[in-house]
Amino acid sequence: MRLKRDRRAISNVIVVMLSLILIVIVVTNVVLWSYQMNQLDWERMHEELKVIGVSRVSGTEFTFENAGALTCHLVALWVDNSTYHQRYDMNLFINSGDIALYVREDITLPDKPYSVRIVTERGNIAIYSNDPT
Amino acid sequence: MNANLGKLLRNKRGITPVLSNLLLTIVAVAAMALATTATYVITSNLRDTMGERVVIEDVWFNNLTNNIDIYLRNVGRVLVRFSGVYVNRTKSSFTGNLSLEIGEHGWLNISKSWSPSDLFYIDIVTTRGTHVGGYYNAA
Repeated sequence: MRLKRDRRAISNVIVVMLSLILIVIVVTNVVLWSYQMNQLDWERMHEELKVIGVSRVSGTEFTFENAGALTCHLVALWVDNSTYHQRYDMNLFINSGDIALYVREDITLPDKPYSVRIVTERGNIAIYSNDPT
Repeated sequence: MNANLGKLLRNKRGITPVLSNLLLTIVAVAAMALATTATYVITSNLRDTMGERVVIEDVWFNNLTNNIDIYLRNVGRVLVRFSGVYVNRTKSSFTGNLSLEIGEHGWLNISKSWSPSDLFYIDIVTTRGTHVGGYYNAA
């Protein structure tokens, strides 16, 4: 009977349980987010893209190679020389191991030397340089 | 009848435990609310700091303006705000996109004169303390 009436320990148990719940929420949240960001960084590190050719056709033809293990999403293309930096939006997916031809009628290559850079959605950049030096 | 009512009104023995319980409940709810809010704020800040990723798409030593123009892209999972730009460890003023949403991109123009073949160490800092930058040679 005395034990049934004694409620002094219950509040302590409730406090500890609520604190534990809060700690578990914090740790789970941080660990899950950290895992997601690690995954993002891992994917970014394993992306391997090359610009293997640039040639003048009616417009400009670019040849890209995805030598990595992941599908690449190309989002931007830059054509630069010392006085000219021009960005072009693009939306091209290249599967792992594929070589893709990409023709843009609206891009005119500047005089040499110039460089072409492509940017992937994950933030990697591949450079093609046409500098004779 | 009147005597019973008067007795009931004068009897204040049960009020103190009710008040104390009420106060304890209010204190407990307030403490939990505070703890939950603090947890939320701390977790959000940690998540935001861990989720920042910015890449420099292009650095242009612009002949026309004699400034340094930098094109940035937010490849992270949170909005990014730029708080400072350091050129060769010296704080420089800048204009352009002060913040980038997820996947957004834009120019940041640094007011800094340069000469051909100068080497610069450019460091861009966000409000959460992420650094992005590197060495760039003025062509």
